[in-house]
This record gives sequence, structure tokens and C-alpha cells, in this order.
Amino acid sequence: MNPLIPIMVILPIACALLLNLLHKKDKTIKILAILVALTIPIIPLIASYGTYFFGGYAPLAENSAIAQNLPAFITSSALNVFHPAITYNFDSAQKVMVFILGLIAFLAIFTSLNETKKPSGVYAFLMFMGTAAVSAILLTDDIFNLYVFFEIAAITQVGIIVASKVKNNYETALKYMILGSVAAPLLLLGIALLLGLTGSVNITDIIYSLKNGVVDPQNPVLLMACGLIVFGWLYGSGLPPFHTIKSAVYSKALPHGAALLQAFSVFTFVALGIIILRIFSFLPFAQIVIIVISLLAMILGITMALMQNDFKRIIGYLAVGELGYIGIGLGLGTALGITAGLFQAINEAIITAFLFIGFGTVLYKTSISDTRKLGGLMIENPKVALLVLLAGLAMAGVPPLNAFQSKLQLIQASISAGLPELGIIMILISIVTFMTFMKAFYTIFMRPKPVELEINDKNIPKATIISMLVLLAVCIILGLFPQIATDLLQVLANSLVI
Amino acid sequence: MIIDTQLASLFTAASLIIIGIFAVGFLDNLIKKVIGLAFIGDGVNLFLVTLGYKPGGIVYIYLPSMTVEWFAQNASYPLPFALVLTSIVIGASTLAVMLGIIIVLYKKHGTISASKVLGDNGEE
Repeated sequence: MNPLIPIMVILPIACALLLNLLHKKDKTIKILAILVALTIPIIPLIASYGTYFFGGYAPLAENSAIAQNLPAFITSSALNVFHPAITYNFDSAQKVMVFILGLIAFLAIFTSLNETKKPSGVYAFLMFMGTAAVSAILLTDDIFNLYVFFEIAAITQVGIIVASKVKNNYETALKYMILGSVAAPLLLLGIALLLGLTGSVNITDIIYSLKNGVVDPQNPVLLMACGLIVFGWLYGSGLPPFHTIKSAVYSKALPHGAALLQAFSVFTFVALGIIILRIFSFLPFAQIVIIVISLLAMILGITMALMQNDFKRIIGYLAVGELGYIGIGLGLGTALGITAGLFQAINEAIITAFLFIGFGTVLYKTSISDTRKLGGLMIENPKVALLVLLAGLAMAGVPPLNAFQSKLQLIQASISAGLPELGIIMILISIVTFMTFMKAFYTIFMRPKPVELEINDKNIPKATIISMLVLLAVCIILGLFPQIATDLLQVLANSLVI
Repeated sequence: MIIDTQLASLFTAASLIIIGIFAVGFLDNLIKKVIGLAFIGDGVNLFLVTLGYKPGGIVYIYLPSMTVEWFAQNASYPLPFALVLTSIVIGASTLAVMLGIIIVLYKKHGTISASKVLGDNGEE
């Protein structure tokens, strides 16, 4: 067992709790938070692949010391291969995703700590807790453990918007919580149905039970479980019909908070999407459902983005729309499609974080997020404007940036899977994304400055610029050398193909 | 016994979930909505507990006087109970956060009517 695997979850939680204990010791909090945040993306890079068992031991089949003392009716049954512990799997795909999540968390925490003079309080605590929860969602092979961290992630998201002191944030937080308190128990009900059928909450065990005749795959209860888990998935990742509330959540957070929140959504989307594919791929319509939901997300997300005037809402809706690309990749079900989908997930998390932090500078200088009241900011700070422009180009899929590679692969995958229509829709949506972004960019940065607009003299913190440069560097590296990520993601994709 | 305990529990769980969904969807009072949400959570928890129920079963503690075969046949399934404990804790903390937010909103708006508090955002 590799002890570094649980550290990826335990370290941010421990740091979060310690930050609370150090209340009002601002300097210590800053140093500790930045050091730990820097460590989070490093751990997955140095950890070796493997499995970790929380509170238990390896399956009896791999554990002869325990198995030899048990009667034959246990060791000869399915219990022999079942996992009696909460299992965490760490493989190449998890490595990439936990690293990218850690990197975004580090940059978000780094930016937020430098923009505030008094970092003491719950904000940093919530960011660390959320990062730990989403890392656990990515690593866990236990669907109940996933539910627990799903709930923790939901509460931290609410906490981040409540702590951000943006106007009407409490109303949005309550709406999100009410919807979550319906969706999460229904997700749990789906998990309970799976537990009732198979006797286990370990995903590998559930799949074993379905494939080896322990449970009849045609059992209608499985259909209901699938429906309930899909409902939880829609809520957790902000897919329609939850796209409106999800983008409202982003718009009520501070830009660095929103950058992290969207990464939470992207990785929750991927983790639950993979689980749905793993367990329910034998259902003939599972992939069609994923594709239809993704198409809806893309079309609704982008059209809603076109109609917004608040730039935080625009990016929020664009982020929801981009989730559709990932879903289509997963829904295609081919190795190429799933790899491209996972690659797109990583790219989207990076680019949207880049956009949120970039547009956050506008909020920092003007305290306004309504594009109708903004203008002329390019003269104020041309370097930042250029960085934001590059982030927008990356999102639209302009070469040589990273989303170009993943979108190209997605289109290739859709054609080779015999669904070129999806490729055409993806190209069209990319064009509309570009148009939406350019409209926002033009009104904020390029058109003449409105007379009544007041721009303060505060310099944009260096930490914000550094964060943007790091994200740009990642965009360019992944755009020029996509195989760095795709080679690692391919292993998971190959295992998901039926 | 008029009706089987497990069946009665399942019916109760289903009723709790349905009443809860009705309350969340159709009642305007935020506190009543939260009570509805608690009902949904409790219904699901009851369903989980019911899964682990075994008629005439014993508590899953293995004593030296028992044989493995007898224990395996008579002990109830422990996993759902362990899960329910965790789920109750999560439910309680979620409710606490929601009630906290409602207190803030009541101070701001002077009402706990959902249509007045959540309806006049103007942008959602």
C-alpha cells in the first residue's frame, strides 16, 4: 500500500483544520496555506500507482493469511474477491487529474491570499476542504465514500459563496442547498439500491456482481439506481436542469473562488461520469443518455451565455457548455472518445480557471462585473488584456493552445464512431463560444471607456499575474505536447471500453 | 403482527420521501421546506436501515460461543447501519447550514416566505 495516496486527501483537510486553529495569525496562515497548497500538486507527481485500503484489508483472494482461517462457504463465494475496506485507486488518469486540481487549487489559494490583507477566516479553510473532497471523489473506488465527499464538496461550495460577500450570495447559496438536499439523498437512494442488490458499495465489486451473474443485470431496480445516480451527477456538475443555479453559484463567488468551484464541477462530472460508464455501460441507452445530456448542456450553456451581461455569468455558462464536450467524449464510448473527453476535462478546468482569474482583475480594478458599464480597460493594462484574450482563444479551441488538441480529438473520435453530426455541432458551438467571448472582451477591454466608469489606482497583485502566466504556460505545453496528458489518460480510457 | 416489519418500513420510507418532495416543491415557508428536506433524508436513511434488517436476526457481534456458520446465517448485515450513521451526520450538518442561511435571510428580508426571499433576486 502506498501511504502517499491517502495523504492527497488528508493533507488539505489537516491544513484546513489547522488554519482555523491559527485564527488571526495572518502571517502564519499565509505561509502555511501557500506551502501546503504548493505541496498538493506535487504529491500526485511523486506518488507511485497503487491501491490503498482504509479501515480494512485487501480482498481475501489476495490475502491468504486471513482467508485460510475462514470456512470454505465464504472463500468459495463472491466474498472472496469483494473489498472489505474503503478502497482508493491511484492510477495514471488520477495522477493527471489530481495534479491539475491541485495546481488550480494552489493558484486560486495563492491569488486569494495575495489579494487580501487579512487571510484569517473560513475562506482558505473552505478552499482546502473542497480540494480534499474533490481529490477523494477522483480517487475513491467506494461509491458511498464518494457520496460523503460529494456532500462535503457541496457544502464547501456553498461556504465559498457565503464567505465571498457578493450581493445576494445568501439567496443563491440557499437555492443551491435546497436543490442539493433533494439531489444528494436521491443519489444516496440510488447507492442504497445498488447496495441492496449487490451487498457492496465498492464499485469494482458491484461490476463483478453484474458481470459474474451474482446479480441479474436485467433487474429493473438497476435502472432506477442508474436514474437516481444520473440525477445526482446532473446536480453535482451543473448540467441541465441545474445549469442556471450552477452559473449563479460561480457568479456569486469571488473570481479565484469561482476558478476553484468550476474545477470542482469539472472533476465531479468526470468522476461520476466514469462511474456511470463503468457500472451501467451494459444498459443499451446509457451512452445515448450521456450524449443527449451533454448536447443539452452545450446548447443551453452557450445560448444562455450569449444573453448575459454580467461577465461572471458569461464564463459560468460557458463553463457549463464546455462540460458538454467532455460528456460527448465519454458518451461515445470509444477509447479515442473517452481519452479526448478526459483531456478536454483537464483543459477546460485550466482554461476556465484562467478566464475567471483574468476577468477577476477587471473586478479588482473597477468592482463592476456588468459588461454594459465597462470599457477601455485595455489602455489601463494591456498585458492583462492580452492574457485574458489568450485564455478566451484557448477556450474557443484556437491552435496551438490546449483545447484545440482536445476538441480536434473529440471531432475525430465522433467521426470514427460514426457520429459526424456531433463533430459538426461541436465545431458550431466552438464558433459561438468564440463569438460570446469576443463580445465580452470587446465591451470590457476594447471599446471606449464610459465617462462614469471609475478605475481605482490599485496595482493588480503580482500573484494574480503569475497565476495567469502559469496557467498560460500549461495551456501552451499541453497544446504543443498533448501526449503528455493523453498517454496517461489512455490507460483509463482503454479500461472503460467494453 | 399485521404487516411485515420490513415492508412497513419500506412504505414509511417511501411516504417520507414523497411527503418531503411535496413539501419542498409546494410549500412557501422556508422552514417548512427545510423540514421537507429533512423528511427526504430521513426516508432514505430508513430505507438503508431496512435493507440491513433480518427477521429474527442478531446484532452483528461475533462471540466466542458462536460457530461461524451460525453467525453467518443469523447476524443482520452491518454495512447499511454504518452508512446510515455517516449519512445522519451529513444530513444534520447540511440542515444546520441551511437554517443558518435562513436566519441571515430573515434578518435581511424580514420574512421566511420563499417566493419573497428567493423570488426577487431579479437576475436568476
